[in-house]
Amino acid sequence: MAYIMLTLLIGMVLGVISVASNPSPYFAALGLVLVAGVGCGVLMGHGGSFLSLVLFLIYLGGMLVVFAYCAALAAEPYPEAWGEWSVLGSVLGYLLLVFGGVSWFWGGWYEGAWVPVDELIEFSVVAADSGGVALMYSLGGGLLVVSAWVLLLTLLVVLELTRGLARGA
Amino acid sequence: MNPFVLSILLLSLGLGTTLTFASSHWLLAWMGLEISTLAIIPLMAQHHHPRAVEATTKYFITQAAAAALILFASTTNAWITGQWDINFNLHAFPASLLTMALALKMGLAPVHFWLPEVLQGLDLTTGLILSTWQKLAPFILMCQIMPVNSSLITFLGIASTLVGGWGGLNQTQLRKILAYSSIAHLGWMVLVMQFNQQLALLALVIYIPMTFSTFMIFKTNSSTTMNTLAASWAKTPALTAITPLVLLSLGGLPPLSGFMPKWMILQELTKQDIPLTASVAALSALFSLYFYLRISYAMTLTISPNNLNATTPWRLQTTSSTLPLAISTTISAMLLPLAPATLALLSP
Amino acid sequence: MTPTHFTISSAFLLGLMGLAFHRTHLLSALLCLEAMMLALFIALSLWSLQLDATGYSTAPMLMLAFSACEASAGLALLVATARTHGTDHLQNLNLLQC
Repeated sequence: MAYIMLTLLIGMVLGVISVASNPSPYFAALGLVLVAGVGCGVLMGHGGSFLSLVLFLIYLGGMLVVFAYCAALAAEPYPEAWGEWSVLGSVLGYLLLVFGGVSWFWGGWYEGAWVPVDELIEFSVVAADSGGVALMYSLGGGLLVVSAWVLLLTLLVVLELTRGLARGA
Repeated sequence: MNPFVLSILLLSLGLGTTLTFASSHWLLAWMGLEISTLAIIPLMAQHHHPRAVEATTKYFITQAAAAALILFASTTNAWITGQWDINFNLHAFPASLLTMALALKMGLAPVHFWLPEVLQGLDLTTGLILSTWQKLAPFILMCQIMPVNSSLITFLGIASTLVGGWGGLNQTQLRKILAYSSIAHLGWMVLVMQFNQQLALLALVIYIPMTFSTFMIFKTNSSTTMNTLAASWAKTPALTAITPLVLLSLGGLPPLSGFMPKWMILQELTKQDIPLTASVAALSALFSLYFYLRISYAMTLTISPNNLNATTPWRLQTTSSTLPLAISTTISAMLLPLAPATLALLSP
Repeated sequence: MTPTHFTISSAFLLGLMGLAFHRTHLLSALLCLEAMMLALFIALSLWSLQLDATGYSTAPMLMLAFSACEASAGLALLVATARTHGTDHLQNLNLLQC
């Protein structure tokens, strides 16, 4: 379990580096897919199956389709992957930074911190995360209303921003 | 813009700031900041010309990064201390991150570069909202996290007053000058925030009517550069006569109400035994005073030559309501005798 | 400092650095913002999971909704910028400096 978690965490950092090192948007979106998938694995490893499912369905299913659509809008003839020198330089720079951070904290890791310690998991009927998310419909009703309001607001924002075509914008 | 959409957007602006004011939990404060950022975006881009869209894009990226940084800092704080409360004492590292993120949101000095460019692309009404109402929520959050990291705060304040004076020196664009003036005033507020929060609040309360009247004066004259101000004596003579009072009040000259916060802040800083900071702040106000004086000179102290037909527009009736402008110019020129009452009103 | 916490913090900070330094496309900047929000989602989820704080499992869901709103506003701005400037290169956003 510790090795799986270690691999997932390293994969997450590598995925964010591949997004941050300024490749073409196609490849950055691919890196983001990698981060989201690995993040699902990390959440599963900590026992959050419902949140992991939410991340997988909503994030990968909804968000990245939109980003693939928009990568087509911003297409360029000669895309830069991670093999280009400018991108490779920043990849190496970020890797050096992460290694510096790891060596700074080396030896300070908590004992057994690789796997979550969860003694109570067998005693509960409902998993902690799905029960907690269900609280949104009872105790967190105000927050639900605020979220609904911000979704309506975003709809109006997007429509207002993108409707300028007839006016020559 | 459709009035229904406009009313929803303005309501959401109010909702966002109110949510941040009312929250004691960092997630809720973050939600309020996000709502007010999202709500002002279509207002900024409402004319759809390239400069407005560019300013909106810059504003969005900056504010989104700052908001994400705020949430990251509070999550780190929760990870270290186990607390989500705003009023709970923060760990030092998340507190510094939060301070920098809020400084980025307000446009304080080392991270201020977005503010003049964004303000330059907007019309004056939206610019007014951006430089007054949108600053309230991060300002209140900054007041609440204040007891930690004093040296960072002092650095932010001093750098803001200096940059706000320095950057406006060579400008001829009024909106950029107003952006730099906003940076300098926020620097004064932040400088005194850790010693006496009532004074910071007082500076904010005085700053808002002064900025309101400046923006409204420029809007009435429909001028965005300094040389179009020269013809304003023919458009609105009374307003042209009052404008130097408002501008010098922004600069902080004694008989005007803008002097009150600067006076109190300098007194508080001397009382706290940091005379060097106080002198640097007081001297950097001279930079700001220089460009306020230059606007006054171009607008009022000289009468630019004009042809005969163009000297009479002041006879025409204006259609816009001038009552808010009258009230705010009166406030920003004559509030100094009420200084004890204002202070008593703001102290808890 | 647990390894998980280190990973999430470095993921967020790397996304922030990627946003701050050398962006060519506006879309890349938005992808960096998304990476930051994704790191925050995982951080909030893991915080509530590790502390068995059941009520806080709501927080990542709400955060996901807000970040989706932010992403869609960013994409709308991408479309608007592509219309007014003809491209989404960030170096073309230079009308306002002087």
